[in-house]
Formats: sequence, structure tokens, C-alpha cells
Amino acid sequence: MNEAEVRERIGSFTRFPPRGKLNIVSDTTEFMSIKADDVLEFNGGYYLVRGEEVEGRFGLDGEPKYWVKRAIDLSDGTSKIIKLVFHESFLMQLGSLQIQCFRSPIKEARILDKTHDDMRFMQGFNVKDTAGNAVRIIDRIQGSRYYDYIHNLDIDHETYYYQVFPKVFDSILGAFQAINDLHHMGELHGDIRNDHILIARSTSKYTWIDFDYTYDWSENFFGVDLYGLGNILLFTVGKGFHTIPDLNACGPEGIKMKQCLTQADLSLFFKHRIVNLQKLFPYISDSLNLALMHFGQEADVFYEHTDELLSDLRACEADLPR
Amino acid sequence: MENRVLIAIDLSENSLKAVDYVGRVLSCHQDTRITLLNVIKEPSSDLVPDAGERHRQVEELRAETLKRMEEAAGRLIALGMPEQSVRLKVQVCSMPVSVTDLILKEVREGGYSTVVVGRRGVSKREEFLFGSVSSKVVREAHQCTVWVVV
Repeated sequence: MNEAEVRERIGSFTRFPPRGKLNIVSDTTEFMSIKADDVLEFNGGYYLVRGEEVEGRFGLDGEPKYWVKRAIDLSDGTSKIIKLVFHESFLMQLGSLQIQCFRSPIKEARILDKTHDDMRFMQGFNVKDTAGNAVRIIDRIQGSRYYDYIHNLDIDHETYYYQVFPKVFDSILGAFQAINDLHHMGELHGDIRNDHILIARSTSKYTWIDFDYTYDWSENFFGVDLYGLGNILLFTVGKGFHTIPDLNACGPEGIKMKQCLTQADLSLFFKHRIVNLQKLFPYISDSLNLALMHFGQEADVFYEHTDELLSDLRACEADLPR
Repeated sequence: MENRVLIAIDLSENSLKAVDYVGRVLSCHQDTRITLLNVIKEPSSDLVPDAGERHRQVEELRAETLKRMEEAAGRLIALGMPEQSVRLKVQVCSMPVSVTDLILKEVREGGYSTVVVGRRGVSKREEFLFGSVSSKVVREAHQCTVWVVV
């Protein structure tokens, strides 16, 4: 396409087309200088940049991710997330521990290929720009983050547990099964968090996003992912996390409850987070609570494979309120 | 019958403690053959995409490892083990496999009766996230004796 044709396409997909000369970029190495209204061109495909994604976490606005562009595919007007090559290494906090984490575009590109057409994972394709950078073009999912969905449920825990939780649990099991399948492909997700599951508005299906974190190998290859799954499980069963400071804020009843807790009831990684949720919500089934206790401070046995966690969780299904 | 002992070492101080312990205990058993095993993990291609660079890093590590293992073998000999009874083995793995699995495979295939590991003393949190070779060896070893030196 020449510039006039690109401009015509832009006109048909946006109400506010860019003015002046179009900046068509095919080498994305300098991604910081790619701005809204620029057009990215890869292998004859054109994408109008609308801005950057923001590291929005837990309801807070964060920093723009300059290597992740929001864009419109000028072939059909669909919304895309375009992830450009950005290498970084940083310490990731896992509770009270830190591990060296690396951002790997090639890992994410490989997982995109391996999970193509599997709607439990974000969908997209890989292209190389003219400088050979591995660019990932990802379909934008219209929907809400799992964290927001659970957090915004305006019901008490007991109502949640009896009326909403069984369905949520089914969906979460499906999401955990997806991670298990990924592990069997020899891959890690790398950054399992409750805001890395999106719930599609149109289908209510749960979809994992963002696979570009990686680590050096350790003896327990799946440990970091299992840590993340444990957090999501706890968040799901508890309809959020529950901590000692939360109990302190509940007045005499909370203080009384706190006195019933021991070290064994608290998270292995977050010293104030309660994993023995049955003490707070006695109607939670024993089987489910037992699975949670594997993430507690005095657990003797840890899950090493997602198969093991899934097996325990499937056994909980019979005890769910139906 | 020759008694075969495998010492799995990672060249940490604790591993060398295990070497010294074995040397002290077994130096009076001259029919024992001791193999020192070290596993080198090739960097992940996600972290070091260039194959040549990965190879260079592995070779650098292998040279350093062999030097340290020869020192470890020297400690066994100094403690009275016959030189011909001490062998060195370095295994390079390019896939994210469990070191425990490699150790136990070597135990099975090499006909070892005893496997010796050092224990780093990791916290529960670290064991959850990163795993522990000594704990897994204790749990998964069959038909052999396991010595854990702490």
C-alpha cells in the first residue's frame, strides 16, 4: 500500500485520522520513538498505533509499557496488541523472596505458536520486522481481568461461596488445566497472577495472557508457576485475600478470630495472609481447605507438578455446593 | 565385590564437606570406587539465544568445574583413597531436566550401591520455588543407600 491507500484505510476504521505526513515504521528497534498515529508495517500488514498499554495492576494506573502498542489492524479494523522486542532483567518479588527474572520475546513467540487456536491462551502471530525483531501481534480480548471480576462482586462471602463460587471454580479449573497442558509442552507461563487471566465479555471464557517472563532453570521447574496458581486458588476460594491486618480492622470479632489463628494457618510466602480459610468461613469444604494448606507455612508436602494440584482440586468438585 | 559410590556435587562448600566425609569414612575400604558427578546446566536458549555463546559459556563452566572436581578428587586421595578408585564425571544437559533425575539415572545405570549428596539447607520457601536435589534424591532413590551430608 502507498501512503494514500494507508490513509484511506485509516479513514475507514477511525473517526480521528492522523493529520500531516504519516510516519510508517518497519524497524521497531527504537520503540520509544513510536507514537500514537504512527503506522507499523510488517510483511505487508499495516497497523495504526493508538497508544501504549499501561501496566495496570490491581486497580491502579501504572507506567506506560512503551514496547507494547495498542493498534488497529488496517486490513480489517480489529484491535491488536503489538508487543515489540524489549529485553530486561529484574528481580521479581515472590512474597518475601526475590528471583532474577528475564523478559524473553522469543519465549512468548514460541508459546503463541504452540497454543495457536487454543482459546484458553491469548491468540496472535509472530512476524519479524525489517531489523529481525520478533514482533508479536496479539488479538485484543474485550473483557475484564479475573482480579477485577472477583473483586467487584458485591456480595458477602457466604453468598459468593454458595451461589457464584461453583461456576467460578469450574472456570478456574479449566484455566489451571490450560497451565498444566502448557507445562506438558515443556513451557512455563512465568508470570501467573490473577490479573493475567482475562474473562472474554462475549464468551465468558477464561484466557491466559502475557508469557514473556522466564527464569534460569531450577530443580523445581514449575515452582514459580505453582506459586502463582496457589495465589489464584486462595484468591478464588476467599473471594479475595484475607490478612491479619484485615482482622485487626474488624473490631472485637476480628481480634477474637485472630486469636484462633496459628502460624500453620498463614501463607508460606506472605506472613500475614491467611490460607486456612475454613477458620474464617467454616462452610468451606475440608477437601478444598486441604489443598489451600499446601501453600501454608507448615506444609510438609508441596505440589511439584500442576497435575498434582489439579488432581486434588478435581477431588474437591464433589464437595462443592450445587 | 567392588563397592560403587556416587557423590553428586555442585562444587559448593557443602558438596566438598560431603567429599571429605566420604573420604574419611571409606578410605579404609580400598575396594570402593568413588565417582564424583557434576551436572552442568546449559543456559536456556530464551536467556542466551545465541548457540555459540551458550556453547562458550558451557565450555567455560566445564573447565572451571573440572578444575574444582580435580581438587575434590585430590581431597579424597589425600584422605587415603587410591587414585585409581576415584573417577570424575561431568554431565552437560541442554534441556530443563531435573538434576535429581540425572543423578538417579546414573545410579541405576552405573550400578552404584550408595549415592551421596550435600544439603544446602534451603528454606521452605526456597524449596517450594526452586526445589531441593537432596530432598528429591532421598524421596525418589530406590535400591541404593542415600547419604545426605549437612
